[in-house]
Amino acid sequence: MSTSRKREEFARYKADVKNEGKSFFPYAVFHDAVMSLVVVGVIIGLASIWYFTSGEEPGDAGILGPRYTDEADPSSIGFVPRPDWYFFFLFYLLRIFKWPESVILGTVGIPTIALVLLLAVPFIDRGRERRLLRRPVAVVASLLVIASLGILTWKGATAKEGAIGAEAAIPGWIERGNLVEGAEGVIATDPALAGVSPEQAGQLVLEGAELFAQSACLDCHLFQGAGSENLGAPDLTEEGLRGRGVQWQIDHLRDPQSTTPGSLMPSFGSLSEEQLRALSVFLESAR
Amino acid sequence: MAARARSARQQQIEQLLLAPINWIEERSGLVSATKRFLFRKVPRDVSWAQTLGSATLTAFLVQLATGVILAMYYRPDPATAYASIQHITNDLTWGWLVRGMHRWGASVFIILMFLHLGRVFLFGAYRYPRELNWLIGVLILVLSLLEGFTGYLLPWDQTSYWATVVGININGTAPILGPFIADFLKGGAEIGTETLARFYSLHMLLIPGGLIALIGLHLYLVTRLGVVSPPWSKEAAGRERDEVETRKRGLVEPRPRGNANRNGSDQA
Ligand code: HEC
Ligand code: HEM
Repeated sequence: MSTSRKREEFARYKADVKNEGKSFFPYAVFHDAVMSLVVVGVIIGLASIWYFTSGEEPGDAGILGPRYTDEADPSSIGFVPRPDWYFFFLFYLLRIFKWPESVILGTVGIPTIALVLLLAVPFIDRGRERRLLRRPVAVVASLLVIASLGILTWKGATAKEGAIGAEAAIPGWIERGNLVEGAEGVIATDPALAGVSPEQAGQLVLEGAELFAQSACLDCHLFQGAGSENLGAPDLTEEGLRGRGVQWQIDHLRDPQSTTPGSLMPSFGSLSEEQLRALSVFLESAR
Repeated sequence: MAARARSARQQQIEQLLLAPINWIEERSGLVSATKRFLFRKVPRDVSWAQTLGSATLTAFLVQLATGVILAMYYRPDPATAYASIQHITNDLTWGWLVRGMHRWGASVFIILMFLHLGRVFLFGAYRYPRELNWLIGVLILVLSLLEGFTGYLLPWDQTSYWATVVGININGTAPILGPFIADFLKGGAEIGTETLARFYSLHMLLIPGGLIALIGLHLYLVTRLGVVSPPWSKEAAGRERDEVETRKRGLVEPRPRGNANRNGSDQA
């Protein structure tokens, strides 16, 4: 539509409002006030339900969740990383992409594209027709956006947490994965384990598997089909086949970004040297 | 005689009451500006869907008011933050209400903002001459999400701590600026005292300041340009007319468009 036509139309709009319009106060203000009262009422209602159905104990959740969880503890490892609900769609997006090739698409690519498209809306759609039936592209596009945001949020909200009850699976892991044998091989060849006797293999694997099950590893990683896939973290069932070596595993666990720049995995540097070694032997034995 | 005396006194009282208002008006023009704002015309067919903007504004004001109160009792330090949150929630009179409203108001605010965005989209209200206001709206949306992200850390519980660890890592994956932003947010090697202080300052000074400025600009443009009629309206302001109707109106109300553009910028 030409610029002059647009200006004409807007001039006509201004004239119509002036001649036929109603006063903002009190007519529009009345509707706004009713709506605002509803909003404040809903907020107070949510706050009350949240408070009166929950308890003082950390994690004592009511209908709308707990008042707080345990105090932040940088050295604890059994956490579940979860953002507020309106970031669930981003969070879930990161499950769809796999490290390392395409994670950047989920963290940066898609959100940036979405933002640019949103900013560009007035410059893409330059028509003047406002009736929905005559704007099929806009209607279909908005339905698609609403559906995908809705589904991603829902999936993020109901995503199963991996770690619960994982310890029961440890004997199965060790047997199926032949982990003790794997660990003997690691001890025989890995320079970081010089001086460790092969007899310790069973002990180290068991300790590592327990740490693995108790820490948050399974919130992000899959292992022999258990756990969940978050933030594009790899399946660790055959981690030993990558030839990382025990020292590399220890460094990675202590500070993931030192070995893997841009890693989303949190640091497990609060574990002791021995624990890190056991965990690393467990990981390397999985082949 | 008596009646006239009373009315003289009445006039005096009236003048006394009006004096401060006139004083302000003479020095600022604020009184007439407020009148122009309140008694400006809007299309006669505005719908309930168009209350979503002011509903969003109300939710934002709730966040400001409750946030100010929370800031009086919250201690932004890893050693004390968690205890102060517990104190506010469990011990302080009405503390649970203030914190609960702030916490749930944030969600309501975000939902309302998306609904408002949706109604602007479905009404095609982002078109000329309102494109700039759409752009400002998107900026407001991004800043609001950042406000949510920075606020989430403040209770300093496990949920907020680890969500922030991962959130900062995600920030770090962005090309070029990503690592710098991540380092800046952390403020040190570990997420700790510096991080919390930074998040607190961003959450209660910088981002709200930006939001207030942008919302002010947004509302200024809304009053300057006016809101559109619903697309389904038969009597939409600015509708196309056939010749006859236009001429007839021209006879009844001479020069209906004269002066109408006082507020518009688009007179070629
Ligand atoms: C918050 C999610 C998250 C948690 C929790 C997590 N990881 Fe990871 N992990 C990742 C991501 C993302 C990657 C891919 C990037 C990388 O390699 O650092 C990864 C990669 C790995 C790798 C592959 C390294 C390679 O390239 O060979 C190993 C091994 C690993 N994690 C072990 C663990 C262990 C053991 C734990 C528990 C102590 C754990 N992870 C907890 C997200 C997580
Ligand atoms: C804090 C957040 C926001 C507040 C307080 C707010 C407030 C308002 C108000 C009060 C109106 C007029 C009444 C109405 O249409 O409902 C309005 C109109 C408008 N808003 Fe917003 N808004 C916000 C966010 C947004 C966002 C995220 C967008 C889009 C990206 C947006 C785009 C617009 C546009 C284009 C108009 C003009 C609509 C028309 O002319 O009909 N706003 N806003």
